Amino acid sequence: MKENSRIERARRRAHAAKMWLGALTALVFGVAFVGAKTHAPGHAKGKAKPLGAPSSFEHAVRRSAVQGGQIAPPAQPPAVSSSTS
Amino acid sequence: MGCDVVMAGGDPATIAAVLERWEAAFSLFRPESELSCVNRSPAPVLVVSPLFARAVEVALDVAAATEGLVDLTLCGRWPEVVVSGGLLFRPPGLALDLNGVVKGLAVDEAAAVLDGPGFVSVGGDLAVRGPVDVALPAGGAIRVVSGGLATSGTASRGAHLVDTATGSASASCWEQVTASGASCLDADVTAKAGFLLGERGPDWLDARGIPGRFVSIDGEIVENRVWHQAEVPACT
Repeated sequence: MKENSRIERARRRAHAAKMWLGALTALVFGVAFVGAKTHAPGHAKGKAKPLGAPSSFEHAVRRSAVQGGQIAPPAQPPAVSSSTS
Repeated sequence: MGCDVVMAGGDPATIAAVLERWEAAFSLFRPESELSCVNRSPAPVLVVSPLFARAVEVALDVAAATEGLVDLTLCGRWPEVVVSGGLLFRPPGLALDLNGVVKGLAVDEAAAVLDGPGFVSVGGDLAVRGPVDVALPAGGAIRVVSGGLATSGTASRGAHLVDTATGSASASCWEQVTASGASCLDADVTAKAGFLLGERGPDWLDARGIPGRFVSIDGEIVENRVWHQAEVPACT
């Protein structure tokens, strides 16, 4: 009889633990679901802003890396020479 | 930089310090250089120095301006490289080669610290402050009034310029191409592009208003229209 009573109490504890775990799982799922809907909505709630061009693109537009220099006929003996290195 | 340095109009020690700073950061032959460290790293995102970030930005601009002819990846993958706020993003294992821009940038910075009129020439690529007469490959001379002058080709180092379309050494019809740019960087980049474009080089430079002088493998000298117009004294 005493043996049966202990088993019965253990079953009740296990049952209560399962209930708590189930409730906790449902709560976590609910919070995560609401959080996901709030922070990752399918449609933006704020006003859409245009994407900025990459800074490297803007830099390339502002300053071309292929600009010609200024040369003229020589007037003196060369001070230096240009060659491949 | 493994090249002869010739200068006038400034303090040699100051110029040497400027060039050494660039060499220490970008030499592919120094294992401790920042570029060597970046290329050894397998990480896709790296924190780089402001100097390194600036050089990569310029190299990306150059790649865009030359339609990938002068490419810091040497394999056409430059659009995959991004630098932003001191961070370098690139596909893991993609090595960078900044030789296409670093010498020009270094020479321009060195010329900027000259005390007055003069020039700085590193391996024949030069930037001037004030007019300087310069001897040209295969004979002749030109006066560089402002900006820079650079020569690219195979005359001294063999076929070292890589055609990014094929990934192998360029088989250009030119032996040496000299270009005049608004800076040494511009001159160096456009000389490389003119060389790699082969027969289309003179027209490509003309379309951008860049004086270019081409020495073919058999020694023939071809000047593009802009160079020729600048070289001939104006009639009065």
